[in-house]
Amino acid sequence: MIVRPVQITDLPALLALVRQAGPGFTTLPASEDRLAHRVRWAQRTFAEQVERADADYLFVLEDDDQQVVGVSALTGAVGLREPWYNYRVGLTVSASPDLGIRRQIPTLFLNNEMTGQSEICSLFLRHDQRHGSNGRLLSLARLLFAAEFAHLFGEKLIAELRGSADEQGCSPFWDSLGRHFFKMDFNHADHLSGLGSKSFIAELMPRQPLYTCLLTEQAQAVIGKAHPNTEPALKILTAEGFTHKGYIDIFDAGPVIEAPLSKIRTVRDSQALSLVIGTPDDQAPVWLIHNRRLENCRITAAPARRVGNSLIVDRLTAKRLQLQPGNSVRAVPLLNQQQQAAAA
Amino acid sequence: MLVLRPVELTDLPQLQRLAQESLVGVTSLPDDTERLRERILDSCASFDKNVQQHGPENYFFVLEDLTTRRLAGCSEILATAGFGEPFYSLRNRHFTSASRELNIEHGVPALSLCHDLSGHTLLRGFHIDAALVRTPSSELLSRARLMFIAAHLPRFAEAVITEIVGFSDEEGRSPFWDALGKHFFDLPYTEAERLCGLESRTFLAELMPQYPIYVPMLPQTARDCIGRIHPDGQEAFDILEREGFETNSYIDLFDGGPTLYARLANIRTIAQSQNGTATPGSTIDARGRYLVSNDSLRNYRAIVADLDYTAGQPVVLSAEMCEALNVTDGSPIRVIAL
Repeated sequence: MIVRPVQITDLPALLALVRQAGPGFTTLPASEDRLAHRVRWAQRTFAEQVERADADYLFVLEDDDQQVVGVSALTGAVGLREPWYNYRVGLTVSASPDLGIRRQIPTLFLNNEMTGQSEICSLFLRHDQRHGSNGRLLSLARLLFAAEFAHLFGEKLIAELRGSADEQGCSPFWDSLGRHFFKMDFNHADHLSGLGSKSFIAELMPRQPLYTCLLTEQAQAVIGKAHPNTEPALKILTAEGFTHKGYIDIFDAGPVIEAPLSKIRTVRDSQALSLVIGTPDDQAPVWLIHNRRLENCRITAAPARRVGNSLIVDRLTAKRLQLQPGNSVRAVPLLNQQQQAAAA
Repeated sequence: MLVLRPVELTDLPQLQRLAQESLVGVTSLPDDTERLRERILDSCASFDKNVQQHGPENYFFVLEDLTTRRLAGCSEILATAGFGEPFYSLRNRHFTSASRELNIEHGVPALSLCHDLSGHTLLRGFHIDAALVRTPSSELLSRARLMFIAAHLPRFAEAVITEIVGFSDEEGRSPFWDALGKHFFDLPYTEAERLCGLESRTFLAELMPQYPIYVPMLPQTARDCIGRIHPDGQEAFDILEREGFETNSYIDLFDGGPTLYARLANIRTIAQSQNGTATPGSTIDARGRYLVSNDSLRNYRAIVADLDYTAGQPVVLSAEMCEALNVTDGSPIRVIAL
């Protein structure tokens, strides 16, 4: 398996993937035109033809038979072209010392504080490929890419995780809040959002802070709660150092998790090593390895052994990376130390 | 005969009875002896005060049965709402949501805490015996305040407001309070109203929501209470509405009851009442029913009277009326048709 930039020839496979993902996957709508547009845009991004504000690094996960089985993305920056909105869950204290009254009321503050940060998004892995290291490779490849090309990204990476919704895709948070200002159901708004109208929709939202005690109990209960489907993604990113600091999506209240780029485990622990072809023994840990290229980026996960400044990998791994012995790679163990200990 | 007059300290025991009977939400009438005593003394001082410009004065009136000496009701005028500390209301205004790109535009009503009504003269504390509801006596109790204002214009503001008690159920529960105020005050509605009549109202500022409350986010039961009047407040509302008062975008922050507003010049009793002089005589040929007041200050009196009145002519009053109004031949009086 390798992760590489998307190409226009991937379009049919991508369309099939997105159809499997279903309507909840709003950032990659199952429309051929829109997908083609996004793929072309990604190609221009990898060719360094677009500004950071517009950069969209769309990757695919490809097996050794050149079949595309997964997709993930990383943007240059959010909010530099049109405003990027989140709520921050803050606090209002209503207190009267004389009367002995003290109430703490979580309050939602609309903000654009994530402006200029880079977003990881649009991750989907084909159902039959959800095993082994595939999910982790598809997700962490973006982080390793950002480690190599840190100058192309913001100070932080963020991820908006899908919020709680019922089986029909209805969001209790939306029903209690957004619906009143848009007069449309969540799926419609979500659809518009995926079409790039999110900031237009956000402009309809009230600017003033909102007391959560005035939301329905169901809505209050899902603030900052990720959809169960996003649990695996959340787990991977949490292990990388992503945390939830109270920012949420303005539509479904899903958590926005964030991490300073330089503090992300994959970024912090990755190192430039020289590639050596050999035979890593059976006990060798799996490493995430990047060929350090931008337009011809290839990232894989493979057993490897570090000796000094060298990384010993087998011949197939080098071939997947399209590298020769002696080439430089950026690499990091796929699992953090705790995970390695747990796996051992 | 019932006469309206300024309260006196000797009224205290009876006033306490009225306070106990009065509806929750008539916050200016605390069921507390000391507070009531202060309120009476404050009123006496206000009537005695030489006022150049309206200030913190509170004019407290009672309705007394001259035969039994029983008090049948009370009402007040606060010269300046929010003198010394802000007078809070919720303003109900539309927040406009618009997106040209999405071709969406609509208004969402939102309630915002404001002090907009500070500085106006406030009518409050209207309470009358249940047996006298919707009789000329309740007109007297309410409108004699307007005649008093007409006689002493420099003592009052250019506009008059009053808060009508909002809806609460038989157990004293207010759906509006339960949906809004309770979250911030952590008190039952009746307790909050009691505190409002009792304590300094600074706790309001400490506890009230400072950000707008979007109406569609409130439950239906609470939305239904916005501008809704308690059945027992309906008469107070109706009397003043006939006077030319109007509801506007302001509601009470506890129970959602409406606030009525009128400029002095648009208030019927103030604009249309006529000055005249008293003449003792026979009222056997009475052709109409009137409110009559004596235009005094400390000795202010007002009654309902059936008169044979012609504008511009002296007002013929029976001996009983003259005694009730504390007037003699030639005393200035004020008259308006009931």
